[in-house]
Amino acid sequence: MLRKLLLSIVIAALFCRCSYSQWLEISNFKLRQESTELAGPKIIIEYDINDPNISPESPAYVFVRYSRDSGKTWQFIPMDSLRGNGFDIVGKSGHKEIVWWGTGQTSFADANQVKVRVSGIAMARVPAGKFVMKSLPGSGRDESKEITPEPNLPLFYMAKHETTISMYTDYLNELDGQSEGWNPRMTNENRCGIVRNDNGTYSVKPGRENYPVTYVSWYDAMNFLQWCGLRLPTEAEWEKALRGGFYLDGDAVKKKPNPMPERRYPWGDESPGADSVFRCNFDTEDDGFAYSAPVGSFARFASPYGICDLAGNVAEWTLDWYTTSYHAGLDGFRMVRGGSWMAVPAACDAITGATQLPLKESSIMGFRAVKGPGKSR
Amino acid sequence: MKSLNRREFMKGTVGAAAGLTLLSQPKARAAGEKVIIGVMGLGGRGTFLAESFAQRPDVEIAYLCDPNTRRFARAREVVEETQETRPKMIQDFREILDDKSVDALINATPDHWHGLGTIMACQAGKDVYVEKPMAHNIFEGRKMIEAARKYKRVVQVGMQSRSAAYSSKAKEYIQSGKLGDIYVVRVFNMMQHPMRNKVPDQPVPEGFDYDMWCGPAPKLPYNPGRQWLNQWEYSVGPIPGDLIHQLDMSRFLMNDIPYPKTVFHAGGVNALNDGREIPDTQMVTFEYGPLTLMAESALWTPYMKKIPANIRDSDRFPDWPFCSTRVEVLGTKGFMYYGRHGGGWLAYDANGELAHSEYGRQGDKEHQDNFIDCIRTRKRPNADVEIGHKSVLLCHMANISYRVGNLKLEFNPQTERFTNCDEANTYIKRKYREPWIVPENV
Repeated sequence: MLRKLLLSIVIAALFCRCSYSQWLEISNFKLRQESTELAGPKIIIEYDINDPNISPESPAYVFVRYSRDSGKTWQFIPMDSLRGNGFDIVGKSGHKEIVWWGTGQTSFADANQVKVRVSGIAMARVPAGKFVMKSLPGSGRDESKEITPEPNLPLFYMAKHETTISMYTDYLNELDGQSEGWNPRMTNENRCGIVRNDNGTYSVKPGRENYPVTYVSWYDAMNFLQWCGLRLPTEAEWEKALRGGFYLDGDAVKKKPNPMPERRYPWGDESPGADSVFRCNFDTEDDGFAYSAPVGSFARFASPYGICDLAGNVAEWTLDWYTTSYHAGLDGFRMVRGGSWMAVPAACDAITGATQLPLKESSIMGFRAVKGPGKSR
Repeated sequence: MKSLNRREFMKGTVGAAAGLTLLSQPKARAAGEKVIIGVMGLGGRGTFLAESFAQRPDVEIAYLCDPNTRRFARAREVVEETQETRPKMIQDFREILDDKSVDALINATPDHWHGLGTIMACQAGKDVYVEKPMAHNIFEGRKMIEAARKYKRVVQVGMQSRSAAYSSKAKEYIQSGKLGDIYVVRVFNMMQHPMRNKVPDQPVPEGFDYDMWCGPAPKLPYNPGRQWLNQWEYSVGPIPGDLIHQLDMSRFLMNDIPYPKTVFHAGGVNALNDGREIPDTQMVTFEYGPLTLMAESALWTPYMKKIPANIRDSDRFPDWPFCSTRVEVLGTKGFMYYGRHGGGWLAYDANGELAHSEYGRQGDKEHQDNFIDCIRTRKRPNADVEIGHKSVLLCHMANISYRVGNLKLEFNPQTERFTNCDEANTYIKRKYREPWIVPENV
């Protein structure tokens, strides 16, 4: 008979990620260490996540990071060392409990130096199934790809919003004062708004928290997402997320047919500014924004899965290469999708892509996260 | 966007429009005054040039122009990041020509627009920076020279290796006789292009003035992507469009040798049988009397590499055997490797011992400096239009040799026509689509 020995050590502070910055609000943290008879110590993490929008279709992606040295350095806790109902894809709000099983990781000589952060991102579920891929080779696309008219994708989850300045600043502040991932142009308060302080920390210019981060290279985007345990979307994922599959509940269920599986924009076929209704942030100030807009400003015109700002606001890095070597020696381009606040309306559609060198840092380019098969943790 | 009365504009021919501008050519900008530039063509190269010129304190980019509005944002963003004023975004380049405050046009369009775009700019009193290959055909290149001279315009061709300091040193070395008498120059352009996926013709996308994009070329059904690069109507070809740099450098190193007497092309569409018109293999021999210029070029050689970015502006040399864009100069006393893209050069003596070497740096900035300087001084630029013509002529001669069945052709430099093949002369001038006609009298 196993006999648990409860030590009940309360370990340092947990950190809340607040919803205004597009982290989902997490509250009522509790953290304790327990020893077990044979399996070594384990950490019990409890928290509440009470966002009313959380559902299986709109789950939270929850990841946990920890520090053993009072917050100087941080590490991602691999999902396969966690058990419970409150990590990875979380489809129901309420009280959550995570058990962190580890060996050396969960044995702390000085529990007071341990810090844990739980963070949540609002995601949309994109069920497995066929969809219409219309972005044919050309116009900057990878001509080496075979694209079938009705490709099929497995289940994946995509962030409902573009990564915000506030989220990215939190990430920078965890990098131990390193300037990697930040560049001085990010201080531009119209186009970004992240300041590097004299002490090596980073601050968001007041009021800019909820705007999409810009001036991020493809590598910056990848580093941030790896920090979260996520990755960039492929072009196919991006396009399916915008247009929806033939069945919005997936090919396994087929109860919710997509009324417009070939739609041109997330909301349908109307041009972004048709009839003086502004459906996304493009190259006009009539939409209310001279530059980028806070993420979700056009939520009424989200994709069939409730994903915001796929059209306009900031163009978004994708995982995909552009490998056509018409300018051999300049290989290495990555594809960017979605138009931007500086783009003409037509460029905010489902098929327009642009090529960019991965080191490019631009005021019209940001990114969003995907959890799906492939390269995420 | 400014509304042009296009029908009224079209009433006049290109030549008629020119008559007015002759009388009212703008004066050269004084030192301290910004040079005002419009950019025509917002693909990768046009966007790069727009950004590079916008970064200069003595330049203002006033217009960014492309028939495809989807290309606007990327170019506008890079310009706005580097200059305070916002460029005007337009689809019709004639608005640039119509603006008296504009000094110069950067023409970074597809090949079929290089000639007429440049000629019309000269007629409108604008100086021009035109990308290579300078002209779509031999006739057009000659007319570009005539227009530049007639309207006293500076026309710089985007063959920037001419402005790189290491290129001049290589030329001095060769011309000093250290390699002996030169009888062979060999240039390479070995690339790796994929087979192109065939896609159906499609409706012209919203926001794309496809008629304007086609311009002087036939308005073929719209097909997305860069298929145009493999079609004679729009392109000099994917190989010549890049090989031109090495051909031009071979002419430069050999003190601007003027015209070859003969051309012989071998090759064809051998590896990439995807319906393309323009060869994927082009082995060309030009005879300049005792000097033979040989070009070895192909699109199916993945082991050959362009000089990587980390070598281009460094004190390093490329891996010469696999350097896809090298020039080899063979003399009676020595041998030289020259690398494009700032690859530097190495000279060997008769015993194969290294005699001299120079690291290289790319010449883009110097080439742009030279253009702006010439706009102010009215001097001929480093890659003047006549130099550009004589270099791109080699590409046209090679293509024509291929198009008549890989025949050896003899060329008369006085008439710029072939003397032993009437069919070859049918390719000297294209058929222009109205109203975009390059006139005999520019």
